[in-house]
Amino acid sequence: MLEATGLMVFYENMLALNNISIRCGVNQIIGVFGANSAGKSTLMYTLSGIMQDIQKKEAMAGGERITLMGEVRYMGEDISGLKPSQRARKGIVLCPERRRIFNESSVLENLKIGGYLASSSEARNTLEYVFKIFPPLARLKKRIGGFLSGGEQQMLAIGRALMAQPKILLLDEPLMGLSPLMQAELILATKGICEEMKLSVIITEQYARPVLPIVDYAYILENGSAVMEGSKQELMDNPDVRSAYFGIEESYE
Amino acid sequence: MDILIYGTINSVTLALYAIGFAMVYGVSRLPNFAHGALYVVSGFITWSFLNSLGLNYLLSIILALIATAIIGALIYQFVLIRVRGMEISEIIASYAIGLAILEGFRWGGFKGLTYTLPAFIEGSVEIAGVSVDYQRLLVVGIGAAVVGLLWLFTRYTRIGLAMRGMAQDERAALMLGIDSDLIAVVAMGFGSMLAGLAAVLLLPLGNIVVEAGYNILILAIAVCIVGGLGSWMGAVLAAFLIGFAQILTVVYLGAHYQMVVALLAIILTLILRPSGLFGQQKELEERV
Repeated sequence: MLEATGLMVFYENMLALNNISIRCGVNQIIGVFGANSAGKSTLMYTLSGIMQDIQKKEAMAGGERITLMGEVRYMGEDISGLKPSQRARKGIVLCPERRRIFNESSVLENLKIGGYLASSSEARNTLEYVFKIFPPLARLKKRIGGFLSGGEQQMLAIGRALMAQPKILLLDEPLMGLSPLMQAELILATKGICEEMKLSVIITEQYARPVLPIVDYAYILENGSAVMEGSKQELMDNPDVRSAYFGIEESYE
Repeated sequence: MDILIYGTINSVTLALYAIGFAMVYGVSRLPNFAHGALYVVSGFITWSFLNSLGLNYLLSIILALIATAIIGALIYQFVLIRVRGMEISEIIASYAIGLAILEGFRWGGFKGLTYTLPAFIEGSVEIAGVSVDYQRLLVVGIGAAVVGLLWLFTRYTRIGLAMRGMAQDERAALMLGIDSDLIAVVAMGFGSMLAGLAAVLLLPLGNIVVEAGYNILILAIAVCIVGGLGSWMGAVLAAFLIGFAQILTVVYLGAHYQMVVALLAIILTLILRPSGLFGQQKELEERV
């Protein structure tokens, strides 16, 4: 469905993504794991086209020189040159790191803004669906976005992304700063959304343990390079991965 | 009593001057220093339609508003879009355009007392012992309606909601499929149209003169700074603050101190509360 080959991103001379190739099939959940500054967010920005927008604006303002290489194909079509809004229209919607909800708007208004691309019947149905899977949002409809707790904000961010009628949802560190209980709840909800709305999901996270059970295939990034990839089972069985990303030390007796 | 009535009229006038500027800045962080020029342009276009082409007054106004919106959108699409995000260049570019338009008019001979628009309805009415002409009442009525409609527009229409989203976080809006360039053009068109609306409402009270362009720009900026740049409701409130302050100054200190009020308000606001009454320091976002 989405296939990226040979993605390279340079900030000035710093290599942020080094020859990354990833693919995501229809109705799959793909995990991308890696520590801080491994290039997860850069990858998400590149897939959603935000990186091209940043590049354009930086070039215009004479700021950082960003170089992009590689190709992103979506349903067989090369979309590397498309603007983020055009990609969103095709169904590639990013739910960004740190959530970036609209702080001054109410929950309902956040969702309505998210429904910019949706027809009014789609918007109505999705709104109902979002309130069904995230009951706290229905209760806090009138609350201003900035006053929500982290977990509620994350629900709102995902709900808002769903309002844009995605076919492939990019979740950038959705679990950041949340309690383990909330993490488990969100992961379960993500799995449910993927099945019920027939979506593909690419999800990035620093810590693989909570996410790994729901992914079909995963990549591990380190300093901008993909150091390993494999199915859930392959990664779980790898001793290096176990110690680095699950916190399970092998015991040497 | 006359302080109350004239204060209200003056405040709504200021709000009309400022709301287009506040809207453009709020949505796309673009200080449109050509705002005053667009105000004058709209007045001259209306005058030309009315007198040179001999069109019906209402029709000339509608056509002039549309023309002003298109001019604003063109200015954005062909000039300002290239300097988006660089505040100083935005100010220089938009001010240069405004200067070119206004001085172009002066050069072209549009000056003097010959250029006036007729009032919509002649005559006046007495409210609580103060004589108010219908045109000023109309200004207050339409001004209030504009503020109300704008509020509804930004909360219940697709484009309006997209503007609100973009005003708060442009990148997040991009992720949701909102085309920021398109929305910015629309906002600029709307803002220009609001400048034009202010012009056709207020110019019948005086002459169409080139200098008005500069005065209105200063007043609009004063209102927006006091209200907090980017906050429309703040701008409306600030319009009332400055509007009443001006009338009080006129009554108790003398008419020639009137212009000082707006400038003093800018200075005081920048010293005491740089983000304005309702503005936010966007730089002080969550720090992690």
